[in-house]
Amino acid sequence: MPQSQPSFPLRLNINGDEHALLIRPYATLLDVLRDQLHLTGTKRGCDLGTCGCCTVQVEGVAVLSCLTLAAQVAGRQVTTIEGMANGDGLHPVQEAFASCGGSQCGFCTPGFIMAVSAFLESCPDPTDEQVHEALGGNLCRCTGYIKIYEAVHQAAKVLREGGVRQPLDVDHRHLIGELPPATRTDPRTHDLARLQQLHPEGKG
Amino acid sequence: MNLPPFVLHQPLTIDEAVATFAQHPGEADWLAGGTDLLPNYKWRLNAKPHVISLHRVEGLRDLTPTHIGAMVTLRELEGSAELQARLPVIPATARQVASVLLRASGTLGGNLMLENRCFYFNQSEHWRRSWEPCMKAEGDRCHVVPQQELCYATFSSDMAGTLCALDATAQLLGPQAGREVPLQELYLFDGIRRHARTPGELLIGVRLPECAPTWRTGYRKLRLRGSWDFPELGVAISIQIVDGALSRLRIVLNALEQAPRSLDSVTKPYVGGPLSDQAIEELAAASFERARPYRNTSFPPHYRRKMVPVFVRDLLRHLRDS
Ligand SMILES: Cc1cc2nc3c(=O)[nH]c(=O)nc-3n(C[C@H](O)[C@H](O)[C@H](O)COP(=O)(O)OP(=O)(O)OC[C@H]3O[C@@H](n4cnc5c(N)ncnc54)[C@H](O)[C@@H]3O)c2cc1C
Ligand code: SF4
Repeated sequence: MPQSQPSFPLRLNINGDEHALLIRPYATLLDVLRDQLHLTGTKRGCDLGTCGCCTVQVEGVAVLSCLTLAAQVAGRQVTTIEGMANGDGLHPVQEAFASCGGSQCGFCTPGFIMAVSAFLESCPDPTDEQVHEALGGNLCRCTGYIKIYEAVHQAAKVLREGGVRQPLDVDHRHLIGELPPATRTDPRTHDLARLQQLHPEGKG
Repeated sequence: MNLPPFVLHQPLTIDEAVATFAQHPGEADWLAGGTDLLPNYKWRLNAKPHVISLHRVEGLRDLTPTHIGAMVTLRELEGSAELQARLPVIPATARQVASVLLRASGTLGGNLMLENRCFYFNQSEHWRRSWEPCMKAEGDRCHVVPQQELCYATFSSDMAGTLCALDATAQLLGPQAGREVPLQELYLFDGIRRHARTPGELLIGVRLPECAPTWRTGYRKLRLRGSWDFPELGVAISIQIVDGALSRLRIVLNALEQAPRSLDSVTKPYVGGPLSDQAIEELAAASFERARPYRNTSFPPHYRRKMVPVFVRDLLRHLRDS
């Protein structure tokens, strides 16, 4: 195997913020987003390019962060699901997914939102067939897709009419509280404790 | 799933890229869009210690109807108004590759140099080791055609079929020299060696004949799901009819064997004659006879073979009557 190449410094622009990072040469953008920047809205699904859960936008184009090396997006604008809401105002695509029931378990939702919002930029008034084609790389195991297609058409309409952003009326952050004392144990042995140590931002 | 550790090289010029590769003989891979290489690396399929990224290399992104650079993405091929006007079969084929998301990163070069695929090869390391790995991975025998000489892994690039039908030429640059070869001749019927290439030769792009826009060319793809599946069969046909007679006829069967197969001996007798219904039936039947799928993809070989005359007949009629 190779003489191991040391981590190298890299500047990444994520959601408009500049980050100076030390990255492993073989780190994917997904690795860096989730494990170094704690932007865990981007999901790790199949990790092989088939499910679309890890979709982000690079310069407005939807790509799979699991198959993109972090080093390859240096100097380019990356947008993740965390960059979609504007303060408390949801992006119209997020709003449409919420109001149409386009999200159930929610795991695939960030990937869909990123794919749909990039798609609607280039195709503001899509036919059903165009929506099917555009979402062919995103898998959902709950909704049966119908609600998702409805959400796409609703979001497209809102965006065509000027894209009014709706205020965020639910704050789920309080639902993720402290671990019960009995389970707040050694992060080396307890999965949830380890997860909270790795992602302190998840505690809200 | 983490990628295995590798040294990442990011050259800025073609010469620098080729020279970097030459410094690591047998130990490097090119990285274009990464949509084929990185899944294989995650599965520890012949991962190399050096990866040479082509992302920053200048001069690989030309896009005209006579020259397409290796780093042009499939998304760019799909969206090219010039290709749509002059060679619509290229955007139409690109649109059938993988998914929108994969096409945003996947390049023409990566597609043409795609790793061959096989049910026994494209599996996790755990899966492979739980049984007996085959000789394309860590083992020493083939499970598809039990022997130890030749790998039958399928070549599943959609673009290759269409570009071979269009008589495309591959432009290569190696550490010693550059050269051009008909794309068809670049491919070998050997799932491990795959290409008639010296190690470290970089595909710079493909050249298309000036007259290609005057031909009628089409592509049909058989796949499991319409969204992102690899081809189980690809049929690409290019014809030209002058004064009621065929002046050109090329039929390429793709995704059945280790390389695209151009049926020149089948088509030759028909050049100069009319593309009658009877000629179409004969060509469909002869294509069926020539088709040799192996049992290493999702669909059974007899079904893939049976679809050959269906696609050949359908596409020939469509091209003749369009
Ligand atoms: C879920 C899924 C579905 C897919 N479906 C399809 C499909 O339907 N049809 C299809 O054709 N493909 C499919 N693919 C494969 C792949 O996405 C595309 O073929 C894509 O075009 C590959 O291009 P890339 O730039 O990502 O290649 P990479 O992964 O970067 O490279 C692929 C191979 O080519 C070599 N290479 C790349 N560029 C060059 C060059 N310039 N010179 C020499 N060697 C080079 C690399 O070393 C590597 O071995 C699929 C992939 C996935 C993950
Ligand atoms: S054809 Fe045989 S040697 Fe080749 S990948 Fe499949 S099992 Fe392995």
